[in-house]
Formats: sequence, structure tokens, C-alpha cells
Amino acid sequence: MATETRDRIAARDRVEQRRRQEAPSTVRDDSEDEMVVSFPEFVFKEFIAAVAMTVFLILVSIWLQAPLLGKANPGMTPNPSKAPWYFLGLQELLSRFPPLMAGVAFPTFVIVLMILVPFLDRNPSRRPSERKVAIILFALYTAIVVALVIIGTFFRGHEFVWDWGWVLGNPQTCGGKPC
Amino acid sequence: MTVIRAALDEMFAVIGQMVGSVFRHGLPLTDKIAARTALTNFFLHIHPVRVRRSWIRMSYTLCLGGLSFFLFIVLTVTGLFLMFYYVPSTSHAYQDMRDLQFVVTFGGVIRNMHRWAAHAMVITVWLHMARVFLTGSYKKPREFNWGVGTLLLLITLLLSFTGYLLPWDQLSIWAVTVGTNMAKYAPIAGPYTRYLLIGGRVVGDNALLRFYVLHVVGLPLAAFLLMVVHFWRVRKDGFSGGL
Repeated sequence: MATETRDRIAARDRVEQRRRQEAPSTVRDDSEDEMVVSFPEFVFKEFIAAVAMTVFLILVSIWLQAPLLGKANPGMTPNPSKAPWYFLGLQELLSRFPPLMAGVAFPTFVIVLMILVPFLDRNPSRRPSERKVAIILFALYTAIVVALVIIGTFFRGHEFVWDWGWVLGNPQTCGGKPC
Repeated sequence: MTVIRAALDEMFAVIGQMVGSVFRHGLPLTDKIAARTALTNFFLHIHPVRVRRSWIRMSYTLCLGGLSFFLFIVLTVTGLFLMFYYVPSTSHAYQDMRDLQFVVTFGGVIRNMHRWAAHAMVITVWLHMARVFLTGSYKKPREFNWGVGTLLLLITLLLSFTGYLLPWDQLSIWAVTVGTNMAKYAPIAGPYTRYLLIGGRVVGDNALLRFYVLHVVGLPLAAFLLMVVHFWRVRKDGFSGGL
């Protein structure tokens, strides 16, 4: 074996050894797991996933038209006006809380909190059974976000007030007339 | 006869040299050759040469990070195609979209792919984050990479949002009006931030150009840079290795 390759393997082993020493004991020890070559074992899996996604996208794109409404008209505001779906949670909060809180303080807080999660979560374990609090909190957060987006998308009609009409039929109007 | 044979041999040797200059190690029939191929191939060097089977179990990763990256590539390719036909001005943009949908060969399908891939990417990036959270993979020594990932999620949302304006239809302009109105509520800097973002008090030509430039150059570059760091750190910090 070439010296270069041997050095590489030795370096990798050192890295693995250090990682094992530093890792908390509650993290699963994977040092005895079977080793495989990433090419083609790993690359093949990625390839299959990529092909599946491509086929899925092409099929969806053939059957489902992306929306294109009438030309933008700054003088005619559709009612209700909605942000893209991933921001509808924010818009929903804006309709309930003071703008400074819902539009600025809250999103900033969530982003900072998310970046800080690894430092706030002092529990060294990675086993789901030992992380009940973290998992429940995350599930709660996800549920709230999803609920807000669904409400914003389907249950907000004229003037963004509560409306079942978005499920039964689209009541959006432009300048008082149907869009 | 011998002259022809010599010429043919020479030709095959040259072809062999050409192929060999591209693929150095032949077919990866043994692990050794496969490992060498991975070591010397630029496009494969993103992976470690050897991985543990538990790291790449589909039921563990669900391939969500890889799919997010793949969707980014799909969006880049389809986006390039759309750029050939699209002029970011209020007088052209909408008609260009109509042409893409009804005149340009495969224009509609490519536009649809761009649109749906963008939605899909928001979802896969989010799910990737959920997977990493639920498996506790952000814990030491991967704290930093979790932060990079959070920024990548933000950039994904911003990319999607800036792209939303470009068709210049009633959906775009009002969604972006509503979205950028949120920026107004920040104390002191709010109105200025909005003015900076859309280049005026209402969503018009300046906003379209700014969103376009951010969408096709600024944000993709930022995303690319962060992705390079993200993938690099996955290698350096180690795979989280299953539960």
C-alpha cells in the first residue's frame, strides 16, 4: 500500500479515536459498525433518490400548472392579500399580536433560539427515550407552525378574518369583483 | 496490411489514453479500485472514501440533506433556462411568463419544475432539520453545523420569497407587498429596511430588479458558500452515526 494511503488511514483512525473519546458516553458507539466504500455504496443510494425526485418533479410539472394570475396591478388589491404559504404563519401571528412583537421580535427570537439549540440542550444523550422534553417541545413547535400555516392558507378570507370559505370555495376579490 | 494494423493499434492506444486520462482506475469492481476512484474523482470527493453502513442507512437519513442539495441543483439548471427568456422589468416580465407558458417549447414544464422544486426544497430542508433535531445529531461536536444549517433554511425561504415576485402577476405583487410590509414594523430601521429591500415605497420596477438580482446571483452565491461549509463540516465533525 502506498505510504500516502497508509498515512490517510492512520490520520482517519486518529480522528475517529479522538471523536470517540470526546463523545459523551450516551452517544451510540459506532466504532464497531461495518465499513463500506462510499463509492458506489453511498453514491448509488443518492443516485436513486435523485432519480426518484427527478421523475416525481417531471410528473408533477406535467400535471400541475404553476399559478399565473392576471398581470400585476398596483391599483387593485386582492382581498385577502396573502404572503407565500411559508410566511403565512407569520401573517397569521401579525393578525393576532402587535406588529412589533409578531413581525419582528418573534421571528428574530425563533431564529436565534434555533441557532442556540445545541447549546441550550444540555442533555448529552441522543436516544429518543432519554430526550422526551426536547422531542415534545419540538413536536409542539412544529404543530404550532403547521397549524398557523394551515389556518393562514385555508381559514382566512376577506380582510384576513376567519372564514370557512377557503375550504369550500375561494372568496378572494379584486376591487370588489371576483378576481 | 501491417501498416493498417499498426495504425489501428496506435488509434486504440490513443483512445485508451484519452479514456484513461478521464477515468484513472477502470471499473470499480473491487473495493480497492472503488476507493481509489472516490479518492481521485472531484465530484465524488465530497464523500469520505469509506463510511460505516449505519451512517448511510436510508431509514436514518431519509436522504433529506442530499435531496435538498439535489433540488438546489435542479433549481439552478431550470432557473438558467428560465433566465434566457425572462426580462426583469415591469413592462416585459409578465408577457415573458405568458410566452414561457404558451410559446416556448417545454417552457411551461420547466417553469412548473422550477416552481414545484422550490416548494419541495422548502419542505425537504425543513424535514432535514426535523430529522437532525429528532436524532439529536446537532449535539457536540456538530453545534456549529446546526447553525450553518439554520442559515441555509433562512436563505432557502428568502430564495423562494424573492422568486415569488418575478412572474409579476397579481399573486406575486401582493404577496410581496404583504411580506415586505412585515419588515416595516421593526423599530426605527423598519421603514428604511423596506425601502432598501424594494427600492421605493411601493413594489415596482426597482423591487423587481432587486429581487431578481438577489434571486439569481446574491442569494444563490450565499447559499453555495454556506453549503460548501456545511458539507465540509459534515466530513470534519463526522457523521452522526445512527441511533
